[in-house]
Amino acid sequence: MTLIKTENLTKIYSDGKVQVEALKSVNLEIEAGEFVVVAGPSGSGKTTLLNLIGGLDKPTDGKVYLEGVDISLLKRDEMADFRLRKIGFIFQAYNLIPVLTAFENVELPLILLGISESERRKRVMEVLNLLEIGELADKKPNEMSGGQQQRVAVARAIVTNPSIVLADEPTAHLDSKTGAMLIDLMQEMNRKRGITFVICSHDPQVIQKAGRLIKLRDGTIEDDKKFW
Amino acid sequence: MIFKLAWRNIWRNKRRTLIVVVSIVVSVSVLLLIDTLSMGMMKQMLDNQINLHIAHIQIHKRGFNDDKTLKNYIPDSEKIEEVLRQIDEIKFYSRRVISYGLINSAFNSSGVIIVGVEPEREKNITIISRSIVEGKYIGEDRGIILGKKLAQKLNVEIGDKVVLMVSDLNGNVSSDVFRVIGLYESPSSEFDKVYVYIPIESAQQLLGLGDKVIEFALILKDQNFINSVKDKIARAIGNSYEVLSYDDISPLIRIGIEMYKELIWIYYLIFGIAVGFGVVNIMLMSVFERVREFGVLKAIGMKNKKIFALILLESFMIGVVGTIIGLVIGLVLYLPLSKTGVDLGIFAESLAWFGSGRIIYPVLTEFTLSLLIFTMPFISLIGAIYPAIKSIKFEPVEALKHI
Ligand SMILES: Nc1ncnc2c1ncn2[C@@H]1O[C@H](COP(=O)(O)OP(=O)(O)OP(=O)(O)O)[C@@H](O)[C@H]1O
Ligand SMILES: [Mg+2]
Repeated sequence: MTLIKTENLTKIYSDGKVQVEALKSVNLEIEAGEFVVVAGPSGSGKTTLLNLIGGLDKPTDGKVYLEGVDISLLKRDEMADFRLRKIGFIFQAYNLIPVLTAFENVELPLILLGISESERRKRVMEVLNLLEIGELADKKPNEMSGGQQQRVAVARAIVTNPSIVLADEPTAHLDSKTGAMLIDLMQEMNRKRGITFVICSHDPQVIQKAGRLIKLRDGTIEDDKKFW
Repeated sequence: MIFKLAWRNIWRNKRRTLIVVVSIVVSVSVLLLIDTLSMGMMKQMLDNQINLHIAHIQIHKRGFNDDKTLKNYIPDSEKIEEVLRQIDEIKFYSRRVISYGLINSAFNSSGVIIVGVEPEREKNITIISRSIVEGKYIGEDRGIILGKKLAQKLNVEIGDKVVLMVSDLNGNVSSDVFRVIGLYESPSSEFDKVYVYIPIESAQQLLGLGDKVIEFALILKDQNFINSVKDKIARAIGNSYEVLSYDDISPLIRIGIEMYKELIWIYYLIFGIAVGFGVVNIMLMSVFERVREFGVLKAIGMKNKKIFALILLESFMIGVVGTIIGLVIGLVLYLPLSKTGVDLGIFAESLAWFGSGRIIYPVLTEFTLSLLIFTMPFISLIGAIYPAIKSIKFEPVEALKHI
């Protein structure tokens, strides 16, 4: 099943005089269950692509379909709802709400979904244990290491059982060992739960784990290889 | 959860939040004291007007209020007394003779209002009998009591003689000698300069009134009965009399009190604006510091209206916390003061002029209390609207670029 489809996806940033064509008519299809790494040099358009797929930004031209839905037709609140149910985000850093504990950070999307407290408790602990960070439950972000914070971010991204997790350079701020562990973890979630991952990265450790590697350069797809 | 989030957020920058909380605490407690003192002062002004002379209800011959001359005397006071005795809500009543006149001492003279009263009955109507500061209350024939201020002006003391000069019922000049037997001091210095008291029989004789009286003054069991009792009496005694409440007689007091109540709003406005600016300020700072966080929340799928509500809630909580502490402090100060009163000695002169007395007992009304409860939380809400709009103005991508 095609989960993500882009059609002539184009993004042009313009600040007055200068125009930057960050994405140039990108056509892409990603099947459910894939483990995709989008690589490419800095400025090649990775973040732009991810933001457009996640509906955080609007394309200048072209379309994004998620599960067959043209997301440009969704209103702002509908898009928020769509993200809540279908998409998990993991950013480079500062993913977590500093005043909330690890548990509460992971719980937050479930609260927004209106899930009952007992059910929330069950699901949050299940995910935290799955990621082997159950003992961090009551810790605030500033009491955790960068790697631990990113694990909590993964937990928050998958706790709602989304179809897609979009991760933008999730290992950029981690040392290589922690980075490797995080990417292994994401792959495990991909296998165990069938969640589709789209990860932007130029980290070789991440690229090496890709199930499919898409190389971007100057806003176009330079190479697209599927390994498994 | 949104409560937990909001509550923790407001304590992220403790010092900043505390500054606003303290400003609210100070505002609420100061407003509580100002407002209750003003209320107390107004109530005392009104009570003093009632207790000093006017009483709750007065009865006169029709036309007296417009033309306060002796010819408007009450011809058949027995009939009125009969009616008054049958009305349960009336606690006390007293008959009076009132006339303008001139008082002369060996040194000076002054225009006065001469009040002839039934000494024992009048004790229940006004506070004059309890306001004697020198000598004694009236009772004996040809004894007169004056305000201390007037006595000073006339340069007379207890035991001195004064002459009252009036124009009697027939329009002839009449005068008589009285002995000063007591001096009083009421809360109103203006009153003290004008009103002098003699026994009713002496007044009737001086004025050639025979056994006629000029007015009845009534005190009811409860002020709330005033209008109904007024109507009841008016119906019973007919059209040739006028029955007036203190409000009919002295509407200026009520108007003054209403004006004063409006002036109190200015205090609320000033404190409200000050607190409002503080709230806008800290909420804006707090929003700008958290731009990235809002980006994350939006990426997770939180809707703008939830984020908007979060900011309002944070500000509202600050308002509520400040208000609760402010009310507690204000009440702790207010409760003992409402028993002992506040001696505004430094303003004694002007307070005496207003007729409230120098010791003010603050009065906390339900209205003031609810005003105090709602003002600051409301202002905190209003003050957070602009910051809250700011918080949702950022597109998620822009917000996420903020660190
Ligand atoms: N808001 C913006 N305004 C103007 N230009 C922008 C904006 N965002 C991105 N760009 C430009 O668009 C191009 C693609 O940017 P993008 O952030 O997608 O690259 P990237 O592949 O994620 O780079 P990096 O590896 O550095 O994160 C770059 O040239 C960048 O300068
Ligand atoms: Mg990027």
